[in-house]
Amino acid sequence: MGWILVFLAAISEFAGVIGLKKFSENKTWTNGLLYYGGFGIAFYFLYNSFKFLQVSTAYAVWIGVGTAGAVLINMLFFGESKSTGRVVSLILIVIGVVGLKALS
Amino acid sequence: MSKAWLYVALTSFFELVWIFGFNTATQWWHWIVIIGFIFVDFHFLTKACEGLPTGTVYAIFAGIGTVGTSLMDVMFFGEHISIGKIFFIFILVIGVAGLKVADGLDEKKALKGVEDDGVDSSIFGGNK
Repeated sequence: MGWILVFLAAISEFAGVIGLKKFSENKTWTNGLLYYGGFGIAFYFLYNSFKFLQVSTAYAVWIGVGTAGAVLINMLFFGESKSTGRVVSLILIVIGVVGLKALS
Repeated sequence: MSKAWLYVALTSFFELVWIFGFNTATQWWHWIVIIGFIFVDFHFLTKACEGLPTGTVYAIFAGIGTVGTSLMDVMFFGEHISIGKIFFIFILVIGVAGLKVADGLDEKKALKGVEDDGVDSSIFGGNK
């Protein structure tokens, strides 16, 4: 159950990131709702997963999947640069975030 | 360009403010202040994405939030810092710096592409 909630939290975070992208380009109510709603629901699911999982583990997985997903979505669907420097840096950030969260 | 990085700094700072609030809130009205800070934070997050790639901004936002929280735990809430944590903080900082450099290079390349483009010169230099 805990992992299903983390999974749902990550999916909602993707929606939030797409909302963030669209809202920063175009300030409409729909985009704003996707942005704030996506992140709001993501935190709701994540918070509930803490009842079943260790907080640091659940958080580490959620933020790792979320950050990697956010970057990939923007590269694949919104045409952001896929240069080597960018990809390597982003991988380092994901490793750092997950490692640090897993240890705390 | 540099203004967008200022927004990245502001959104990361306000993120740490509300995370600190989460750790210390005791009264009901504290939560109202915290929610206020979350909205300020998300406002600057949007502003940052207007000038930089969303992937970059979000990765840095998540990275600084994570480093900040673990440093906060050490400084204010008596957690101990381990070699492992220092190692991952180091990796993260390299990643953030690398991303800033890579985006700078991409931008330079994009600008050069516009200058080299023949279409532009035919529009602006069409004095035949």
